[in-house]
Amino acid sequence: MADETSKSVTPVIKTSRPMSEALLNEKWDRCLSSFLIRSGLGLSFGIVFSVLLFKRRAWPAYVGLGFGAGRAWEECDNSFKRAAAPSKDGLRVVRP
Amino acid sequence: MLRASILRARAPIRSIAPAAAPQWRVARRFFADDKKTGETAIPNPAPSTTPSNPTPSASVGSPSTNLPKPPPVSRSAPVEQPETTPPTGTGSASVAPDPVQAPKPKKRRFRRFLIQLMILSALGYVGGVYYSLVSDNFHDFFTEYVPFGEDAVAYFEERELRKRLPGRAGLPRLHSHPEGGSKVTIPSNHGLSSRVAEEADLASKGPHVSAVADNKAAAPHSNDGPKVGSNKTPQEVKKESSDTTEASSHSLLPKVTPQAEPKKEVAAPVPEPAKPVAPIDHLAVGSATEPVVQDVVKIINDLITVINTDQAGSKYGSALEKAKSDLGKVVSDINTLKASTQKDAEEKVKSAHAEFDQAAKELVRRLEVQMQDQETHWKEEYENERERLSQTYREKLQAELDAAQRVYDQKLKNELLEQSISLQRSFAASVRERVEAEREGRLGRLNELSSSVHELEKLTAEWNSVVDANLRTQHLVVAVEAVKSALENQVIPKPFITELSALKEIAADDPVVSAAIASINPAAYQRGIPNSAQLIDRFRRVAAEVRKAALLPEDAGVASHLASLAMSKVLFKKSGLAIGQDVEAVLARAEVLLEEGDLDNAAREVNGLQGWAKVLSKDWLAECRRVLEVRQALDVIATEARLQSLLVEG
Repeated sequence: MADETSKSVTPVIKTSRPMSEALLNEKWDRCLSSFLIRSGLGLSFGIVFSVLLFKRRAWPAYVGLGFGAGRAWEECDNSFKRAAAPSKDGLRVVRP
Repeated sequence: MLRASILRARAPIRSIAPAAAPQWRVARRFFADDKKTGETAIPNPAPSTTPSNPTPSASVGSPSTNLPKPPPVSRSAPVEQPETTPPTGTGSASVAPDPVQAPKPKKRRFRRFLIQLMILSALGYVGGVYYSLVSDNFHDFFTEYVPFGEDAVAYFEERELRKRLPGRAGLPRLHSHPEGGSKVTIPSNHGLSSRVAEEADLASKGPHVSAVADNKAAAPHSNDGPKVGSNKTPQEVKKESSDTTEASSHSLLPKVTPQAEPKKEVAAPVPEPAKPVAPIDHLAVGSATEPVVQDVVKIINDLITVINTDQAGSKYGSALEKAKSDLGKVVSDINTLKASTQKDAEEKVKSAHAEFDQAAKELVRRLEVQMQDQETHWKEEYENERERLSQTYREKLQAELDAAQRVYDQKLKNELLEQSISLQRSFAASVRERVEAEREGRLGRLNELSSSVHELEKLTAEWNSVVDANLRTQHLVVAVEAVKSALENQVIPKPFITELSALKEIAADDPVVSAAIASINPAAYQRGIPNSAQLIDRFRRVAAEVRKAALLPEDAGVASHLASLAMSKVLFKKSGLAIGQDVEAVLARAEVLLEEGDLDNAAREVNGLQGWAKVLSKDWLAECRRVLEVRQALDVIATEARLQSLLVEG
């Protein structure tokens, strides 16, 4: 009986919105993944450039990595800052 | 060879030129025509260039033929010129004829131009005149703007007019000249003039034939010839001619004169002309008033005069006498006839008068009769009309009277009816009063009985309602308890719609219960609410997260988050009812309160958080609120149920 009820109830509990206590964690996840992806992309572009243009020097690869990582950091920072302020979803914005 | 061809081409010129003249000069002359006279030094370049083939040379020569040949006048010039001028001047010599030619045509041209101009203007003038005769518009234009145009047109118009009306040929022109004015010439013998020519014809009728009064006046004027009409002239003639005729004439005279005198007609004493034999008397008919008779008399008189002049009176005397007597008879006959006709006419007039009188009388009589008739007729009609009018008025009066009578009758009837109706009504009312008074005596007791029965019924019904209410409150309490137990005994949150609906059904339309149920958030009974243990469990998870964000500044970026994350690990945990408003203390107090079961205060504590901590604990707070709402609603319903039961008992 309990199993049946739980089965029937579970879909009701699940919501598209994440729980409020998991908000920060989710943000951290996103930041990390984006950091990895962007820094990887920058690194690969740097390597390609170094191979094609700069006679396999090392610094273009580092520069690319730096670009990617910096970009990811910036996005992350932005998302944290925006989330701190109370959300304005569903509120009307009155412009002067 | 070339020269020969050129020569052939220039055959006519060569014939003109003298045989002695050199050939090149001739050939060169043609080029001199084309070119300027100055370039004559080179003798004929054409032959030098093409000496080999003769045909081109011929062709070169042939265009030169196309050049305008000098006219015959100039032909003689080149012949003379070369002789007088040096060879270098030959070029100009060929042109020399041109200045000779120029003046002549110039003069002539001018003259020709003049002539042409005159001819053209004359033609134009004539055309203008003609067209102005045809068209009126052009006539106006022409007469106004062309000098002498008006005169010319007027002349032609006049001619045309004269042609059309030949009878008025001599008349002055119709158009009076503006300057000259109308010229009217009055002939010299205009107006009165003596007429002399009349005396010539004696045969015509006139005063000399018939008028006696004219005799004296005409006598002195009589001149030549024997005048028949005059009285004295024949006598003079007679004296001159012969005396022998006097006796006969005297014998005849008295015969005629007495007739002529009283009638004052024809010259009574017809003077007998000098008649050698027997001059015949002129006829004198007294009563010849008729023009026909007069004519006859005149004719006979003429005859007589003729005979008299012929001296043949003896021959025709008898016949004339007879004729005279016949004529007299005829005259008398005519007179008698006239008299008779006059008499007849008078009689007719009289009879006509009489007839007209009679007719007039008849007419007057008839008119009178007619007038009388009409008068009587009109009188009758007038009488009839009066009769009719009076009749109609009488009828109208009658009708009016009838109507008034009827209205009055009707009114009376109506009054009667009203009276009867009111009487009946009062009768019915009195009857009813009696009956009611009778009835009330008996029905009063029945009413009392029925009211007592009603009261009894009411009492039983009240008791029934009391029992029902009891039952209902019991059910209500049971339902509330069921809901509460359902909420407490659940492992995970599940909806409790069925229980709540059952509760609502039981409560029927209790306003308090329905209001309490309405106060519950629909999400609560649709999704269910956690029980207290679940709430505490979730609070612990939330508290861990909140602790991580406990040290965050106002507007935190990634770095501050990282720092907070790291530092929160090394923070000392507070426990129990800690004092202070920092996150750690608030969390500790809330946990303690929750464990005590004071959900309300715990929620209050958590609600006091700020910034990220509040954001993270938002969901837990909402859940807490829902739970609190449901609990409050259930408490209210339970209290209401209790109150109900108490009320029923009271």
